Amino acid sequence: MTKEEIFALITRHAGEVIPRLEQHAFQWTDSLRALGANSIDRSEIVMMTLEAMELDIPLSETIRAENIGELAALLHGRQAGVQA
Amino acid sequence: MNVFAGTARVDVEKLAMHRGLDMTRFSNLLMKEKTVALPYEDPITFGVNAAKPLIDALSPEEKDRIEVVITCTESAFDFGKSMSTYFHNLLGLNRNCRLFELKNACYSGIAGLQTAINFILSDVSPGAKVLLVATDISRFMVEEGGEGLTEDWSFFEPSSGAGAVAALISEIPHVFQIDVGASGYYGYEVMDTCRPAPDKEAGDADLSLLSYLDCCEKAFLEYQKRVEGADLAGTFGYLAMHTPFGGMVKGAHRNIMRKIAKARPAEIEADFDRRVQPSLNYGQRVGNIMGASTLMAIASAIDHGDFSSSQRIGCFSYGSGCCSEFFSGVAGRDGQSKLRAQNIAAHLDRRYELTMQEYDELLVTNNTVKFGTRNVTLDPDFIPQARTTHGRPTLFLKEIKEFHREYDWVS
Repeated sequence: MTKEEIFALITRHAGEVIPRLEQHAFQWTDSLRALGANSIDRSEIVMMTLEAMELDIPLSETIRAENIGELAALLHGRQAGVQA
Repeated sequence: MNVFAGTARVDVEKLAMHRGLDMTRFSNLLMKEKTVALPYEDPITFGVNAAKPLIDALSPEEKDRIEVVITCTESAFDFGKSMSTYFHNLLGLNRNCRLFELKNACYSGIAGLQTAINFILSDVSPGAKVLLVATDISRFMVEEGGEGLTEDWSFFEPSSGAGAVAALISEIPHVFQIDVGASGYYGYEVMDTCRPAPDKEAGDADLSLLSYLDCCEKAFLEYQKRVEGADLAGTFGYLAMHTPFGGMVKGAHRNIMRKIAKARPAEIEADFDRRVQPSLNYGQRVGNIMGASTLMAIASAIDHGDFSSSQRIGCFSYGSGCCSEFFSGVAGRDGQSKLRAQNIAAHLDRRYELTMQEYDELLVTNNTVKFGTRNVTLDPDFIPQARTTHGRPTLFLKEIKEFHREYDWVS
């Protein structure tokens, strides 16, 4: 998956978890926290994205990402065969 | 086993409104009330009040066979002296007894339970019993002008409780029979939440949540490896998990049901209501009681579930830092009636409800019994209604004299 595809997955899941974000024009620098997602919402969005990517990594590794763009880059780098 | 959850509570919805929290977000916590420790309550008063009915029900011969007292806590007030020594004295136990204390954040209660089980199983002293006391209190203090009221704090203030679970572990399981060897454990070093200074709780709520979710899955997978034929959806009539707040348990349940049991969202929701909710009822009214939380979830599941036929309970404990364990045991109709005889729900109802003003005063008053207090006499006229609210003798801290804690039975 490309970073752009992963970004699209994250934002789609963000809209599912927090319906008022469905129509939001997401930027790479947007932070889920700043958009009003609490820690449970954020974990849910990450879990749904990992599942869609069929990626099995510890959720706690994703804590380093400060915004959606960084999260997409981090998950992209953890896919098998992808050089981070 | 028995639960003692203090003498005072606050309604967390009123607290959330009082703090101006976003109520739609707040409902995700799945919290109703929480116990608040009053200045004359400490981990000893909680623990003794929980254990007393169990000890009083023993014959002198049975009582003399208590050969180990294990305290499980992250709220100790001394680095060296173990709280087990106070329990031993206040409950009048036999001096031929091992006394010690265990710490591993919220995992302590289960670390203690497994230690006790192993002592019984080793059969080195046939007929002996272990008294397990898991007891923890939260210490919330408002720092003037600090950044206390962050989003994370807004989750943790309404959910941090105080309480104790006492249990007698012996070769005859009256309430809950542990499945021997059926344990999957999983731990690693992580800096999620901690108590780095005597009166401070610190941490990263996000990291703690993610670590809890990771551990829940890994510990169950290890359990499944060791227990032939174990199946998350089919083996357990109920699930009882460490409950920082109900919403976290709901998230963890959703995660493992989706990943391991491959269940669909509607099935997961129905499964949560049926198998998990009974274990949450007490936690929703007491708050997170750390080391005692998983044991209280087990008590809640047994009190609120349908045990007309025996049921296996899948249990998960997580302690920050971190260590976790998925294990199981069986409870039946007799165990349920034994536990119900403790009237835990009625005990929770009797706690005095603090007004927001009383609660806020308490956050400041809390400062009076700091860690390391050498001498103090507690004021019995502070919220006096709480002291007699249970209508039975209740132990309170009377004074600290040259670091030694002295207690009083009040009725």
